[in-house]
Amino acid sequence: MFLFSKDDDSPRLRQLRALSLFATLSPRELKTVDSLLHERSYLKDEIVFDEGEEGQALYIIISGRVLVCRQGQPETARIAELSPGMLFGDLALLDDAPRAAQVRAAENCTLAVFFRADFLGLLETHAVIASKIALQLARHMAQRLRETVAGVPQPLQ
Amino acid sequence: MSLHRRTGPLVWLAIVAITCLLLLLFQKILWLVVPFLVAMIIYYFLRPAAHRLVLRGFSNEAAAAITGGGFIVLLLLVAASLFPWLTAHAVSWQESLARYVEGGSLLLQRTLDALERQFAFLERASLSQNVSARIGEFTENFAQRHLADLLVTFATWLPSLLLAPFLAFFFLRDGRRFKKFLSRGVPNAYFERTLYLIHEVDKTARAYFQGLLSLTILDTLALALGLWAIGVSPPLFLGLVAAVLAWVPYVGSVLGCLLVVLVAATDFPTDPWMAYGAIMVFVFVRLLDDFVFMPLTIGRSLRIHPLLTVLMIFVGGAVAGVAGLMLVLPLLGVVMVVGETIGSVVTDPRLKARHAHAGQLRARQVGADLV
Repeated sequence: MFLFSKDDDSPRLRQLRALSLFATLSPRELKTVDSLLHERSYLKDEIVFDEGEEGQALYIIISGRVLVCRQGQPETARIAELSPGMLFGDLALLDDAPRAAQVRAAENCTLAVFFRADFLGLLETHAVIASKIALQLARHMAQRLRETVAGVPQPLQ
Repeated sequence: MSLHRRTGPLVWLAIVAITCLLLLLFQKILWLVVPFLVAMIIYYFLRPAAHRLVLRGFSNEAAAAITGGGFIVLLLLVAASLFPWLTAHAVSWQESLARYVEGGSLLLQRTLDALERQFAFLERASLSQNVSARIGEFTENFAQRHLADLLVTFATWLPSLLLAPFLAFFFLRDGRRFKKFLSRGVPNAYFERTLYLIHEVDKTARAYFQGLLSLTILDTLALALGLWAIGVSPPLFLGLVAAVLAWVPYVGSVLGCLLVVLVAATDFPTDPWMAYGAIMVFVFVRLLDDFVFMPLTIGRSLRIHPLLTVLMIFVGGAVAGVAGLMLVLPLLGVVMVVGETIGSVVTDPRLKARHAHAGQLRARQVGADLV
């Protein structure tokens, strides 16, 4: 057992670093984050979460695509379609406000789930990692805000 | 769809019933439950230290190894240094015990004599004589009747109790992995709620056990201060033993009080007011404990209504004896959190519909080529 975690560059860490949220983390920091992430598989048309549901986690698409839509409206009235590397449900990391829209799998997909309590724990135990993630999250939100101002259709928060 | 929906009476009935059933079950496997409980106490005691090491840049594994390993080494060192001392003083321990029991009997006899002088009907009933005869009979035959049983019980419990520090080490090292492992078996529809549930159970258990440790420290200090003020010694040791005994509701408090009174009665055989003073200090600290310390520490962690707490302590004692008294509150706290959340999850029609929908999708996908 090593006193400090050994850095390495495994395929899993490369996969995580490819995600915008974790792009600025070092391999050792990525390993810490990886121990907190949950990986879930969804079938095509399976619901990830509903509109109005209390959000507890942020989702990152590892493979496959998801649809963001208004609940009860036809699939054609989708708000956005998200592809690998993109994240959704990000405001759940900051508060427990209700989800703004429904998300369902557009095809079989794999998602990484980052639970809010784990992020809050990270803020205490690994403030540097948490602040890097928070900065990336802020950049992501700023980009979405700019796109909203520019009139580009937006996925949910 | 909120996670904090109010729990209905049916769910509460189920929570109480499950707590009782678990107590019955746990009573049968005490050899496993007690080391597990002790390990949980050690785990939550060591967790802040491990947390501090993680803050200083150590990995979780290294922090667990340092704190858990350090604790085990410390225990071994204490045991190694205490064992020769204990065996060397075994005879004097036995003599001291007999002396303290005699001191207590003497105090009781004097008190009963004084009562007999006050109330003629007690004198007619020969209360003092009867009680003294019973105590004499009990203490004379105690060693013959119970010593072998006590030694066998101790030898049976020792290996399982030795497990506790090792269990605590693995809790420290693999607690997070265990959480992930648990959540992996949960269907997607219930996943977020279950994560929340596991987090809440952990939070409740942590608050309870850390509250229990804070309560023990507060009780020890308050009792030590009171005993030191009236001149009973050694105050800190007596306070600590009484505070640890108080982990078992009611029975533990009575035993703690008895211990303090025995010491006071023996050390001051000519001054019965010292023993009465010790009782008053003990009762005062108990009141402080019930109305100030407990609400500040454990009470806040479990969020259980005081009436239900008292009722459940009686139920725990009736269902599983002393073990039930000790286990009932932490068990109720955990069952309450699990029950409330499961109640809100399984009664949520939308989540059930989503789960059924996922099942249909899975069935359709695996059978797509079977048409």
